[in-house]
Amino acid sequence: MMQNQFKTEDGLVEVTISKQGDSWNFEGQSCQILDDGRLQVTTVDGSSHLARAAKVGDIWWVHLCGQTFKLEQIEPGASASEEQGGLTAPMPGKVLEVMVEVGQEVSAGTTLMILEAMKMEHKIVASTDGVVTAINFNAGDQVEQGVTLLDLEQ
Amino acid sequence: MANKLSKVLVANRGEIACRILRACNEAGIASLAIYADNDANSLFVELADEAVMLQGDSIASTYLDQAQILQIAADNAVDAIHPGFGFLSERADFAQAVGDAGIQWVGPSPAAITQMGDKMTARITMRNAGVPVIPGEEIEEVEEQAALAAIEEASHRVGYPLLLKASSGGGGKGMRAVHHPSELISAAQGARREAIAAFGDGRVYIERLLTGSKHVEIQILADRHGRTIHLGERECSVQRRHQKVFEEAPCATMRPQLREAMGSAAVAAAKAVDYEGAGTVEFLLAPNGEFFFLEMNTRIQVEHPVTELITGVDLVREQLRIAAGQPMSCGDLMIRGHSIEVRLYAEDAANNFLPAIGKLAVFSPPEGPGVRLDTGVREGDEVTPNYDPMLAKLIVWAPSRKEALQRMRRALDEFVVLGTTTNIRFLRELCDQPEVVNGATDTTTIDRLWPNGWSPNVSQSMKNAALLIASCAEANGLQRRGSSVSNQVSSDGPVSPFQTLNRRFP
Repeated sequence: MMQNQFKTEDGLVEVTISKQGDSWNFEGQSCQILDDGRLQVTTVDGSSHLARAAKVGDIWWVHLCGQTFKLEQIEPGASASEEQGGLTAPMPGKVLEVMVEVGQEVSAGTTLMILEAMKMEHKIVASTDGVVTAINFNAGDQVEQGVTLLDLEQ
Repeated sequence: MANKLSKVLVANRGEIACRILRACNEAGIASLAIYADNDANSLFVELADEAVMLQGDSIASTYLDQAQILQIAADNAVDAIHPGFGFLSERADFAQAVGDAGIQWVGPSPAAITQMGDKMTARITMRNAGVPVIPGEEIEEVEEQAALAAIEEASHRVGYPLLLKASSGGGGKGMRAVHHPSELISAAQGARREAIAAFGDGRVYIERLLTGSKHVEIQILADRHGRTIHLGERECSVQRRHQKVFEEAPCATMRPQLREAMGSAAVAAAKAVDYEGAGTVEFLLAPNGEFFFLEMNTRIQVEHPVTELITGVDLVREQLRIAAGQPMSCGDLMIRGHSIEVRLYAEDAANNFLPAIGKLAVFSPPEGPGVRLDTGVREGDEVTPNYDPMLAKLIVWAPSRKEALQRMRRALDEFVVLGTTTNIRFLRELCDQPEVVNGATDTTTIDRLWPNGWSPNVSQSMKNAALLIASCAEANGLQRRGSSVSNQVSSDGPVSPFQTLNRRFP
């Protein structure tokens, strides 16, 4: 038995795999590791596929049947880095323009800020109706990926 | 100048630098690469006979630094400069300076670049040469308030929906589609701002937005011996954010008569500016068979390989021949089979195609019959925000369009890239869309197919299998074993590569 937690696009997922002979099992599928490091998966329908996996940092990248998966492994006991309702920079870049003020009421879809990255403009848009409670950067500021640009209270 | 080039400086980077350096190698011409510090380990530097590092830490002070590049050319006895695409490829002042230094420019004259490079001038030149242009208006005002007022006034005459385009534009920068008058001013401000940042010129012009049209472009070659020919068309309708992602030749709906008409118009366009070398005349092709001049790109094009595969012409070799003053070597146009190219980007197609970065822990391209890969990266390379996020162009050839699509699906399924998010799956699903299968694509295809954005179509059992694989790999210490799957990956790598990179946005 072995337990792992991954952050996926569907949220946090807990996975418990069990070993039987050379293969590991999960939800009716089995997987074994070949000598060259590739992984062979037998799916629920009985078909067998080769997969490749590589870990970079905490992220397992998996390629299977033309699909690529990005699975961030969460260390046991550690809390996942969830976003706290703030609007974060989707990528590193420069703030071009701040379109709102603190205290302003905005509706979903309103453009709050314009970022420039890789010479393209990206709009930061309110995902819900709310009130702008903080603006953390001014036009011209460089921002790192993941930083909270503005806070919006519903 | 002798009838042969002896040493070519490639003033570019990435996959197109690799393409040109390989052509030089094959032609027996010595090559010189120039590279910025952050490209020291890039593939193109390795492919060149000689390489000189550019001093400077921004794009402006490296790949765009004309004086520095000319000095390197002079110091290293270079007799030609190939600009590739992007960077300085459409800078008439650079082409002029290169010629003034007694070095051959691989491309058309500075005058031709100027006439075509300024999109508003090009529209006027084409109109005068009898080539149909899209209904629209040029806005000559430079100053912000005056320009906005002129745009607002012209918008009533052009009508909605309309397109704002930067006169110095390209690559979708400084371009905005406007569907309602209420969006006009903010769109115009955005287009001008982007154009000023990217090109140092905020002038924009207005065109009617012709929906339902195909983007069809004609490849041109012209030499100094009186020949100007076209090599048929490419269809590049499938675009995201005004950037092409799926290109093919021939166009699925093309008929010989229309090809001849468009080809003749393109040849007329090239002759109107005394064109020399390889160039592309872009048209919008309306459903009723009417076509309109969009612009001419006075350089080699990203999607040139599809033309190469169906015509058997090596366009870059021809560029080198023409620049040396030789006649082009290709004969009459012969089209054979079908070719498709897709552009592989490090980007998150499920999140508005946002560029992605990361380490290419695994980069394993497809092989087999009819598959060509033009790339500037290899396994172990780092994808950084410093440059364009295009990783590779995957090109297939097959006897028919149907077989070419089948081959592309197979090739995309074989392509393994781990360590950064890519658009491979998006491209793969695109190949299954009925519009693509039937050749009924137009420039709004992606927006229409996925109005709320694309997300991958993945079954729960696939997701479970991936979770099992990751758990299994973790349980067996694959990340530490230095096995073939992970030997390029440092196990003590940072959680987020974003935090350690030295990023610049010149």
